[in-house]
Amino acid sequence: MLQELQDKFYLNFIDDNRWAYLTNGLKTTLIVTLFAVLLGIAIGFLVAVVRSTCDKTGKLRILNALCKLYLTVIRGTPVVVQLLIIYFVIFGSVKIDKVFVAILAFGLNSGAYVAEIIRSGIMSIDNGQFEAGRSLGFNYVQTMTYIVLPQALKNVLPALGNEFIVLLKETSVAGYIIRSRTYDAFMPLIAVALIYLVMVLAFSKLLNLLERRLRNSER
Amino acid sequence: MNGKESLIRVEDLKKEFVGVHALNGVSVEIKRGEVVFVVGPSGSGKSTFLRCLNRLEDPTGGHIYFDGVDLMDGKININKHRQKMGMVFQHFNLFPHMTVLKNMTIAPMKLQGTGKEEAEQEAMKLLERVGLADRANAYPSQLSGGQKQRVAIVRALCMKPEVMLFDEPTSALDPEMVGEVLQVMGELAKENMTMVVVTHEMGFAREVAHRVLFMADGQILEEAPPQEFFGNPKNERLKAFLSKVI
Repeated sequence: MLQELQDKFYLNFIDDNRWAYLTNGLKTTLIVTLFAVLLGIAIGFLVAVVRSTCDKTGKLRILNALCKLYLTVIRGTPVVVQLLIIYFVIFGSVKIDKVFVAILAFGLNSGAYVAEIIRSGIMSIDNGQFEAGRSLGFNYVQTMTYIVLPQALKNVLPALGNEFIVLLKETSVAGYIIRSRTYDAFMPLIAVALIYLVMVLAFSKLLNLLERRLRNSER
Repeated sequence: MNGKESLIRVEDLKKEFVGVHALNGVSVEIKRGEVVFVVGPSGSGKSTFLRCLNRLEDPTGGHIYFDGVDLMDGKININKHRQKMGMVFQHFNLFPHMTVLKNMTIAPMKLQGTGKEEAEQEAMKLLERVGLADRANAYPSQLSGGQKQRVAIVRALCMKPEVMLFDEPTSALDPEMVGEVLQVMGELAKENMTMVVVTHEMGFAREVAHRVLFMADGQILEEAPPQEFFGNPKNERLKAFLSKVI
């Protein structure tokens, strides 16, 4: 019995230096996660600021519309599909590093969620903070930088942490790039993406209705 | 106050929220060193009027001349002028992530290029004057309401403003803390700071104001020195209002 376990261990990890697959995998996972997180924060931060600025001041309308489109598409389709589209469709005809593709795909994906997390943080800050900053003579950007964002980020830290754990685990789907090469990429993937998108849109519409009803009952 | 130069001149100021006229053509002149109180029933537009003075609320019409510059002119940089108009809010609005000292020094350091040391010295001087020097390194959450409001006042003073705007500064305070804040405001008035104060503290207005304005329905219905304002009100609405609040 013990002998059997030992043999299996040897076969799986020691023989042919197979443990290297594990450590290599771990290394790749960490690299992908780290850079995807950085990319996600950068994108999320920008998108959140654009969205809140538009909500507050009515400026940046066009950028805001683009951000909304980005959020809808990214949040409305599964990350696997996004990954496959980026690898097989967008970069289908060029030879490109898979790790780079993974970072790009997960970064773009995470950015959408981070954006909404940070935006909720910004909205959670009392408008009086904003007014106090402006009344001292700070302009919009300074008020955001010195007063609103430091508080907002503190408030959303747990949610951000959560998002990054999810991201870490999500990177496991990067394995698909390697295995699915035999498939015809374009048609099925787009079809899958569209089906998901429609489902998610319908669901968020329902959620919106529910939210509005809850808000009305607060008055 | 005759003979002193005008600091703020408001002409026909209008503010319309969706479907509601919050300000219905307000004209008033405030001289340098003058202490003007604005009273009136809730919803009369007095807070809106005050918040329009530094364009925290954007007026929909009229002119605000501050130190000779029309703040309604689209070409001016409002941030520059706001530095000269200190504002104190009902809910203090201290920055909770900064110490008292940082609350007070951040604006002079970032906006006026004051050095850290100089800004902190100035802030400590002001804190001493309001009896809070020992709280310099505390965070706002560790202060009582009255202490918070005193810090808010000196935070605004750190920018060396030409005028101080007070938006119901004691309305959110427990009764036993009102006095300490009014005392600080009274001292400011004695030092010839120009002040515009929206308040419900009638006794304080009678004591400190040079002039009292009565607002209702987005208009100034009466303005007079406090003795006359409280002793011999002419407007019927003001008479009714005073009989309710005094």
